[in-house]
Amino acid sequence: MFMLRNPLLASLRSSYKPNTITNRLFSINKNLLQTPAKGQEILLKQRANRPISPHLTIYQPQITWYLSSVHRVSGVLLGAIFFGVSIAYGINKIYDFGLNDDSLVEFYKTNVPTWLDYTGKASVAYLFTFHFANGIRHLVWDKGSGFTIKGIYKGGYSVLAVCAVAGSYLFSKAF
Amino acid sequence: MLGFRSVAGSRSTLQTLTRKNQMTFNSLRYFTIPFLPTLPQNPGGVKGDINDNLKHPKSDKLSSSIHWKIEKVLAIGLIPLVSMSLIQGAGVSTLVDLSLSYTLLMHCYVGFQSCIIDYIPKRVYGHWHNRAMYLLTLGSLLSALGIYEMNLGDKNNGSVSLTSRLWTSKNEQVVEEVAK
Amino acid sequence: MSSVITKRITQITQLNSILVSKRFQSVAAPANLKTFKIYRWNPDTPEVKPKMQEYKVDMNNCGGMVLDALIKIKDEQDGTLTFRRSCREGICGSCAMNIDGRNTLACLCKIDSEKASSIKIYPLPHTHVVKDLVPDLTQFYKQYKSIQPYLQRKEFPKDGTEILQTVEDRKKLDGLYECILCACCSTSCPSYWWNAEEYLGPAVLMQSYRWMIDSRDEAKEKRKEMLQNSMSVYRCHTILNCTKTCPKGLNPGKAIAEIKKFLASA
Repeated sequence: MFMLRNPLLASLRSSYKPNTITNRLFSINKNLLQTPAKGQEILLKQRANRPISPHLTIYQPQITWYLSSVHRVSGVLLGAIFFGVSIAYGINKIYDFGLNDDSLVEFYKTNVPTWLDYTGKASVAYLFTFHFANGIRHLVWDKGSGFTIKGIYKGGYSVLAVCAVAGSYLFSKAF
Repeated sequence: MLGFRSVAGSRSTLQTLTRKNQMTFNSLRYFTIPFLPTLPQNPGGVKGDINDNLKHPKSDKLSSSIHWKIEKVLAIGLIPLVSMSLIQGAGVSTLVDLSLSYTLLMHCYVGFQSCIIDYIPKRVYGHWHNRAMYLLTLGSLLSALGIYEMNLGDKNNGSVSLTSRLWTSKNEQVVEEVAK
Repeated sequence: MSSVITKRITQITQLNSILVSKRFQSVAAPANLKTFKIYRWNPDTPEVKPKMQEYKVDMNNCGGMVLDALIKIKDEQDGTLTFRRSCREGICGSCAMNIDGRNTLACLCKIDSEKASSIKIYPLPHTHVVKDLVPDLTQFYKQYKSIQPYLQRKEFPKDGTEILQTVEDRKKLDGLYECILCACCSTSCPSYWWNAEEYLGPAVLMQSYRWMIDSRDEAKEKRKEMLQNSMSVYRCHTILNCTKTCPKGLNPGKAIAEIKKFLASA
């Protein structure tokens, strides 16, 4: 090892190249040889390792995205109920299993326990009025107005207020 | 887990890497729908180099601006129909009932389509996106048939009347019990 | 007379020495420690999961902004903490990160030193993390380039003077041109979280609008055609996290609503 490192003794090595100017200019350290393609390969490998930074779990609860997600969830749930009932009638038209208004109401009265009835109707009442009021808020945005931060918050709170009042009224009709 | 392997060829980058490098944290791919296989995704969410130009998809007005216009027309149309039905209750005319139900059906279709494009994108789920859309279309057709039946079939008085009856059904029960 | 002067001089010297000794007194006030919980991940050890690391900083010896605290931590406590920064005055957009759940610039985010609660610092949400607080914004920049953010005209004035524009037309660009492309808005948008590869995001769309309504630009129709597909614009569901979070007070949500109106017009 000493022989290899010592510049005086290095001249005894078989692979010795004198440190002339030509050698310094034209010698390549093959270990450092890098092409753009190799670099890109390394980049792709690195990219595959990268984690995705947290999002839903850490983002501050704000009226903007909370109300938007409730709007979507309420839409999906109410849509599912609407589709469920109408598809049942549609299937009944093809393969008659005795479904009509009276039989459905009877089925509901006998099979649905009171607690489920109340929670179901409460959720439908509040979610429906929320979706309706927020839908109007969306249409106002599509017109182009209400895009200040104050406007967003005012709109959000008024939708919640309308939802509370109208939802409670609708729910009270169930008794 | 059979569902994973039975669909030909779709192994996500995460699955390949998990098996090879034993990396178990799930942050390589965000929320995936369980049991739905994904197509291999671009590593790091980037296709190609920083200098490779991003290509915009082909211009298609029908799925963009026209679709948006239809969405808004349906939403605006629903406002008077729903208000009328809520105010008039079970006594609405069949015409209002039918137009409400069909407008609501189209509104639900557009809404679910938006959810499918957002959460089951074609780029990630490939043909499962198409299958979800077929399922939605099939459901909508059955629903259209059902709405016709609800309004114009025997013994059926329309969706508004049905909703009204179901809503106050416990009242009827109480009234019946009191009557007994 | 001279005794008065000497008396005065002694008084001044005494006062001066008291002041000097006070200045070099060690900080008598107790250290006001504020806890910072910072997201850490090292690409050299990719199998180690990302985790939160706690640092305590004395607010009596620290500047008022989160960036000051980060630099202090990197200087004094942990040199491996990695983050982007440049201008420290809210104009370059480098230090964009998620602080206490909101996307802002660290150099403009004041630390509330009175509150005892810790500050949580994460990189921009749903981005691929290069290291610690540094996100990979390659996709973001590619999307920006793709909307052709430059003036396109068939003819420029032959005498080399500027292209004229009325005061009203110039006013239309206010609130749009000030974007520093920090990516706070795009990375606050849940739609961009789920579909970053296809949806352009509020920042890029706002710049696209900025070029559409520039009266000097003649490529309006071309720019319109570029956006006529179901993913580039129409993944926006008016969630409005973007407008809420913009550290420069701009309104990308409104710009996107105007784009939608423009696309829908014939």
